[in-house]
Amino acid sequence: MIRILAALTILTLPTALAAQDDAAMVEDVVNSHILPRFEMLAERSDHLADIAQETCEATAPPLRTAYGEAFDAWVAASHLRFGPTEQDDRAFALAFWPDSRGATPKRLAELIADQDPIANIAEEYADVSIAARGFYALEFLLYDPAISTMGDATYRCQLVRTATQDIAATTAAISRDWHEDYAARMLNPAPDGTYRSENEVLRELFKSLTTGLEFTADTRLSRPMGSFDRPRPTRAEAWRSGRSARHVELSLDALNDLAIRMAGEGTDLASEFNTAFAYSQTRLARLDDPTFSGVSAAQGRLRIEVIEQGVQAIRTLARDELGPRLGVAAGFNSMDGD
Amino acid sequence: MHTGRRHFVGGLLAAGLIPKPTWADVGSPAYLAAAALPDGRYALCGIGAALDVLFQIPLPGRGHAAAARPTRPEAVAFARRPGTFAVVIDCLTGRATATLTAPEGRHFYGHGAFSADGNWLFTTENDFEAGQGRIGVWDVAAGYVRVAEWSSGGVGPHDIQRLPGTDMLVVANGGIDTHPDSGRVKLNIPTMAPNLAYITDGTVQQVAALPPALHKNSIRHMAISTRGQVAFAMQWQGGEDVVALLGTHRRGASSPVLMNAPAEALRAMRGYVGSVAFAPDDRRVAVTSPRGGLVQVYDTQAGHLIESHAVEDASGVAHARGGFAVTSGLGSFHRIGAVPESRQGSGRYTWDNHLIAITPDSA
Repeated sequence: MIRILAALTILTLPTALAAQDDAAMVEDVVNSHILPRFEMLAERSDHLADIAQETCEATAPPLRTAYGEAFDAWVAASHLRFGPTEQDDRAFALAFWPDSRGATPKRLAELIADQDPIANIAEEYADVSIAARGFYALEFLLYDPAISTMGDATYRCQLVRTATQDIAATTAAISRDWHEDYAARMLNPAPDGTYRSENEVLRELFKSLTTGLEFTADTRLSRPMGSFDRPRPTRAEAWRSGRSARHVELSLDALNDLAIRMAGEGTDLASEFNTAFAYSQTRLARLDDPTFSGVSAAQGRLRIEVIEQGVQAIRTLARDELGPRLGVAAGFNSMDGD
Repeated sequence: MHTGRRHFVGGLLAAGLIPKPTWADVGSPAYLAAAALPDGRYALCGIGAALDVLFQIPLPGRGHAAAARPTRPEAVAFARRPGTFAVVIDCLTGRATATLTAPEGRHFYGHGAFSADGNWLFTTENDFEAGQGRIGVWDVAAGYVRVAEWSSGGVGPHDIQRLPGTDMLVVANGGIDTHPDSGRVKLNIPTMAPNLAYITDGTVQQVAALPPALHKNSIRHMAISTRGQVAFAMQWQGGEDVVALLGTHRRGASSPVLMNAPAEALRAMRGYVGSVAFAPDDRRVAVTSPRGGLVQVYDTQAGHLIESHAVEDASGVAHARGGFAVTSGLGSFHRIGAVPESRQGSGRYTWDNHLIAITPDSA
């Protein structure tokens, strides 16, 4: 009995400390991981819209550079899919991908063929099909050999300007809502709040980490692999602009940052995460295949598969080690229901 | 036809050695549920009314729901979406007797239903290149042969059930478009439009939809009372607070009725219901939320929430004497809404999504 009581005391003490640690961790994640990413996204998108006003030529280097920088900022924040990004379908308006049935090129081709006047005003552009908005639509306008040369050049120019303004407006709204409203909700869980307890906040952050890893493994990496008999290199993300591998790199960097903050810098678990992330990151850096076109050959395919398995291993680490530590290690229905 | 059936049932019956087996011969399982095992394998289990596991049959992958064949102790366990297998199980011998594979270009959603006479099986499927829901029709007597395919009346059909005493099927078209090449990624949240579709013999007889403001409330699962009232549970895909997670509908009524609950109680469910069931009284309905760790019970006549129970990782729910039986992903069984309420361990089983009540020989 005494032994049981002693064991209970040992168990409860760290729990009280853990509560303080949890609050500090959430504050760190919100202030140093989340807010800077959405600020950066809004700034770079605003810059992109400005550049597009100056030069809307699809091949113009300043436009492509600004596009790449803004897209980078989105990918680095793309795992944070809750709250302001989900309001009014903003995340979808920025990133309509994967587009399994090719809705994006179809809608863009229709707009260009019809010279639809909706492309003249950014506020109205928010009403076009969501497939014709955001970074992936812009990639077609700037890099796709057919779409980027289709129809009337003046109209296409207007389309590029309007689409970038639309992106700028969406990202500004996300950043504003995070700063003015949602950060406070996460930092102050309350029984009548969006988050009723610290545990629910931890669960949200944990879910961002695990679903972010899942998306990178299953969609960014596995999807272009297709099957061994039928590799699908043109299903790689943003291959037209040569950004497929870069997106994996950016997302892993972002998820690594989040994992370390959640595990606690300097902890054994944090170093386990660093090791696990480094496994995929170093292999990706050595891959030298920006569009994952190598999936079509056995050798290249294997190398990408190894990276994907490395990401799956990070997921396992998060599920088996980080989840229980945060007290969010619920059964598989709560994290993965249907 | 007769030859096929005889062949399917097996030599024992054909030889007339024993009478045609019924559900009562199988140590009377009251429920079926898919589970994950500690070693990472998956199984379908038969569970008794006392909430004890009677048998366990291996599955080739993660299961979801199952359908019990009326008139005979046979069940079909379905792969979780986007899986393509379904396993026919002889609950008398505890063996798999056949495997169904979704046709090229289709995958299962995890649910199915039998016709009243048990001769046809209907499965919810995704025609993923078209992004349209389908109902696969299988000839049971011929050995589960795929014979036809119907429109489900929407996108992303999930649960499918039959109105008792009829061959009217009800399909929960969840509205969410997915494509297996992008796993479970939701492709059409901004434009999704869920509905309940009533189908007989390949013809959509009625489609009941939610008001436009609720178009992001994915109608995913259903429970049907013995009198044919459909209770449907939803999963909210919108950003803001959800206004309802449960509704009822009766075939012929113009629009569904949404059940009321305090905003607080809905928020506690995290916008998500995993399973839904009627109590034996045909009036109370229980909904589970693994994300909220809650089971909530509604009075469908009064039209509002009456009680909430904390059950961590609550997953399957089905009717039980006086109330409900609930499973959890942490491996426990619960009795709720009845006296006495109880909780018991089930040991090594991690229960998945659903607890399917077997209604013996009902049509």
